[in-house]
Amino acid sequence: MTRAEFMGRLRRGLVGMPTAAAAEIASDYEMHFEDGAAAGRTEAEVAAALGDPDRLARELRAEAGARRWDQEKNPSAAAAAVFAVLGLGAIDILILLPILMGVIGALFGFFMAAIGLFIGGGAVMVAGPFAGFPGGPLAAILGGLGLMAGATAIGALTAVATILLVNATVWYARLHYRLLKPALEPQAQA
Amino acid sequence: MPETIEIQLKKGVLTLCVLALLNRRERYAYEIASTLSDAIDMGEGTIYPLMRRMQSDGQVETYLVESPSGPSRKYYRLTDAGRRALEAQTSEWRAFVAAVERVMTADAEPAPPAVAAEIDQSAERGAEQ
Repeated sequence: MTRAEFMGRLRRGLVGMPTAAAAEIASDYEMHFEDGAAAGRTEAEVAAALGDPDRLARELRAEAGARRWDQEKNPSAAAAAVFAVLGLGAIDILILLPILMGVIGALFGFFMAAIGLFIGGGAVMVAGPFAGFPGGPLAAILGGLGLMAGATAIGALTAVATILLVNATVWYARLHYRLLKPALEPQAQA
Repeated sequence: MPETIEIQLKKGVLTLCVLALLNRRERYAYEIASTLSDAIDMGEGTIYPLMRRMQSDGQVETYLVESPSGPSRKYYRLTDAGRRALEAQTSEWRAFVAAVERVMTADAEPAPPAVAAEIDQSAERGAEQ
């Protein structure tokens, strides 16, 4: 493989990463080719010693995805981290997909239920006193507030479960990095 | 499969090797990659994902050195956290190697209880990796 081929495949593999990070990675590898040439090695030798650019790109992306999820816990970081580790091939997607779909469906259902309950609770609280709610206006307001509190609790628990699920997926995949990851984080061992 | 064991061992000590190399002096990535490639036959491309991870874990930091020819070069050096990680991993590695040695030469004499406990711990640590 020539230097241009290697760099082309690496750059294509890094598409989707933040541009600055991808550019820095690319310049690291360009520099490696420069240094290799200075040491009297051919482009093909250097490329062979570096390994498969597609796999390197997948690992770099997975590392960046996991890192982002560590820093910001939001849905897009979660999705990015999960897809990046799936891209590693560390998790057998055919086995995992049916399970994952079921779990994601259940979590989604809980979220929707929480939203519905919250809106319903709000409606009971606001409209109940005027619509002749059984038990009188006070019961309607308290009942509505109760429903909204319950909805908030369900939503919060579902969010916690989702975060734990993504953490578990990322952790499991990182255990199985083929060449990058020495099993657990060094800090976790110390 | 002996090959698999060898790969697992190399993966496990890669971070330690990089920390040890950088503790002696600051280096750029190509030096680290070619040194480790010669020493433990590691894929050279692996060093870049590893260096990025160690950098985001705060074990190493980078700085640029102007080069008379071509673009400036990125050097890596250990941080204080990196030096602490090196100390911890070095003693862990030494204890593990000693424990394996003792197991392999165990028929000489029965190990005293203190040593046996240490072997247990190291074996657990080995299992985690």
